[in-house]
Amino acid sequence: MKTLAVVLGLALAPQAQYVPEFKDVAAEAGLTHVFPNGGMETKEFIIETTGSGVALIDYDNDGLLDAFVISGDGAPSRLYHNQGRGRFRDVSAVMGITRVGWGQGACAGDYDNDGHTDLFVTYWGQNTLYRNEGGKRFRDVTKEAGLLQDRVRYNSGCAFLDYDRDGRLDLFVVNYLKFGFDETPKPGANPYCWYLGLPVNCGPRGLPFDRNILYHANSDGTFTDVSQRSGIAGPDQNYCLSALTGDFDGDGWPDIFVSCDQTPSLLYMNQRDGTFAEEALFRGTAYDENGKAMSGMGASAADYEHSGWLSIFRTNFSDERETLYRNRGKGQFDDATLRAGMAHNTRFVGWGSAFVDFDNDGWKDLLLVNGHVFPEVERKKTDIRFKDRRILYRNQRNGKFEDISEKAGPGVLDRHSSRGVAAGDIDNDGAVEILVNNQGERPSLLKQTGTPPGNWALVQLIGTSSNRSAIGARVRVTAGGMTQTDEVRSGGGYNSQNDLRLHFGLGEAKRVEKIEIRWPSGRQEEKSDLAVNEILVLKEPAATK
Amino acid sequence: MTPAINLVLFAALAAAGSDPLVRGLESFRNGDYPAAERELREALKGGGDERAAAFLALTQAATGRCEQAGGALAKAFQGAGGEVERLAGLALAQCHIASNRFEDAGAVVAKLKSKHPSDPDVLYQEARLHMRAWNDTIHRLYQKAPASFRVNQISGEILETQGQFAEAAAEYRKAIEKSPRALSLHFRLGRALLMSSHAPQTLEAALKEFEAEVALNPLDSVAHFQVAQVLLVQQKPRDAAARLERAIELNADFPEALIALGKLRLEEAKNDEAIGLLQRAAKLQPRSEAAHYNLMMAYRNAGRLDEARREKAEIDKLQRVPEGEFSEFLKKLGEKPPAQR
Repeated sequence: MKTLAVVLGLALAPQAQYVPEFKDVAAEAGLTHVFPNGGMETKEFIIETTGSGVALIDYDNDGLLDAFVISGDGAPSRLYHNQGRGRFRDVSAVMGITRVGWGQGACAGDYDNDGHTDLFVTYWGQNTLYRNEGGKRFRDVTKEAGLLQDRVRYNSGCAFLDYDRDGRLDLFVVNYLKFGFDETPKPGANPYCWYLGLPVNCGPRGLPFDRNILYHANSDGTFTDVSQRSGIAGPDQNYCLSALTGDFDGDGWPDIFVSCDQTPSLLYMNQRDGTFAEEALFRGTAYDENGKAMSGMGASAADYEHSGWLSIFRTNFSDERETLYRNRGKGQFDDATLRAGMAHNTRFVGWGSAFVDFDNDGWKDLLLVNGHVFPEVERKKTDIRFKDRRILYRNQRNGKFEDISEKAGPGVLDRHSSRGVAAGDIDNDGAVEILVNNQGERPSLLKQTGTPPGNWALVQLIGTSSNRSAIGARVRVTAGGMTQTDEVRSGGGYNSQNDLRLHFGLGEAKRVEKIEIRWPSGRQEEKSDLAVNEILVLKEPAATK
Repeated sequence: MTPAINLVLFAALAAAGSDPLVRGLESFRNGDYPAAERELREALKGGGDERAAAFLALTQAATGRCEQAGGALAKAFQGAGGEVERLAGLALAQCHIASNRFEDAGAVVAKLKSKHPSDPDVLYQEARLHMRAWNDTIHRLYQKAPASFRVNQISGEILETQGQFAEAAAEYRKAIEKSPRALSLHFRLGRALLMSSHAPQTLEAALKEFEAEVALNPLDSVAHFQVAQVLLVQQKPRDAAARLERAIELNADFPEALIALGKLRLEEAKNDEAIGLLQRAAKLQPRSEAAHYNLMMAYRNAGRLDEARREKAEIDKLQRVPEGEFSEFLKKLGEKPPAQR
């Protein structure tokens, strides 16, 4: 009887949940350069607060993700080649990436459909379109592509998207505000230049608004600014920072969410005729649950509850909650922050975030990074810090998240003033790594010390009729009784580029029962009975006449 | 004396002839009070002008001799009319404040306010009156009852206004120790705790205090509301809803509680119930963004799109940036906006 009780007790005891432990392996990996972004004790101008993003792209098609880290003024942004075995090598000079300036964001996509992923980098000042020439070199083609701007702009987030589904990647660029060193008041100069009794850099309030930009891709490799006629230029009373594309209403056409600072966030809904309508307020993504504009920084999207709809997570300022906009279907959102268990982390200024299934249980978890905009806040000796830890939420599979940051290892607990985050499987082992841009420090590369228990699949799509990067493709993976939905996306998070391949945790499933793909061209495709723990490379079938 | 007095003097000078009154007013305007007094007394000989008497009193008040000025000031304030009456009232209020006669000062200010409701000089005197009265009362409280829990309570409240929440919490704790059954102390302590730290464990400590307040005063709707707020963050929506219902039972016109309960009903897809609650809140607080926003969402979710759009228009109106906010702001700074197209 006693034996039976022991056996029953064991059987009924809850299984120990896998707790990911993250370690920062950037130094061992060779990511040792420091990337400045203004002052670390005090920041005189707002431009020092917003940089910068990162990108994980496979520029030479060797199957390994390479790393791109953007710098503020004072040092070049750098491209690192993934040498394998967890090592990276700086190839910036040889690859032609040497620009110094106030770099902000990056987004990737094969805009010329030549099979090599190109890179767009935003700046305060002129942006740069780097055309990937056969994986051997990046060439600055900004001017010949028609992307030179006629004035100094504070460009921020960006994303390639094929908004008109013509098979060519168009380009969306977020603009924060109008800024110039000579025109901007100094710390303490007016009421918008104070924080907690400290004189700090001025803005965004008090500085002039700007507007976002949409470039349409022409057939000759150039772009045309269609901001006005597409309706993108309409909203001009917002301080916008980052872009997140996705088909939020499920109509097969990409929409654009824009996270905005101290002003309502925007949701440009694709009207399927080359124009967009801004509908954030009515759709429920402009404000928080009290109808208040938050200080939106970055944003990520995921089908975190297996509803088949993409929800949106947005990071905000200290003394504000993060915001989880749950997609209740067809692009109508509710603020689910409170009921999802995300209302308690209010001391952080959040930036980059990524929905990643760390334990491969088939449910997207969430990591976000933090760091205040005012280094001066350290003088106040409160619990609000310029450098702070990250936050890791585990998806509890019931619409709620559990904050497991405190037990997720030094990679999560170390304090930095972080900005951009990119997620990708740098060693193709099914466990996703995280690249983080830290202001005034070397980047972090977060890697799990253990092996996630679940199976996985990495889905790599190659477009033919659609854009070659398959950006905008929607993938539904069914395995182990679960169906997960995701999209191939350029840009996102905080001005960063995740792995263009889609990672799915599969739990204990031994086979992928079904993969359904809706290509950007509109073509639907289905594959059945595929192996797990593999990179599944799927090419869009040629169009049949 | 205020610049306003100088303006009045110009008018008075123009109206008067070349006599001691003119010279007296001129001297008063220049701040040469001995000369002003001399000339105004001269003007008063042989009956004199009422204005001479009023300005003599103003001169005496300006030089701190309120006792001598009092009668004439009061007379001018009662019936001089126009600017002289206003000036006399201001000086009279100032004299009463200086001699700690706050009730008398209050009566003068009340009369001034009824005649000049937007006058900055009057509003300034009123602010001074309240400030002085407040200071005086606090001083007496500290002096007469230094051991009272009220001293700790008021210290906590002052510290809160200064943003020193941890220190405020410490004062409230001392007050509770001295007077465990006094109302509002636990409530204040709970709020100070929430403001003092972002740590999630603070929620539990604050909840304990709000519950203690409810235990002392079960009819305190605001304490019930605060309990509900914490329960919501702790993801206990059912418990929170019960507390909000209780808060509304106790105070049917409690817009924040109506909104919070409306949001919960919205989450439960009880759209009709949510709409009812939120309509009540919007009626009570027509400028509440939270009420209109959630009402819009409730109508939207209920498929009542026309009404949702009407609420959206209301929110758009409420959140519109005041016309010219930034250009005006930059002008004030003397800054040139960046050259932009």
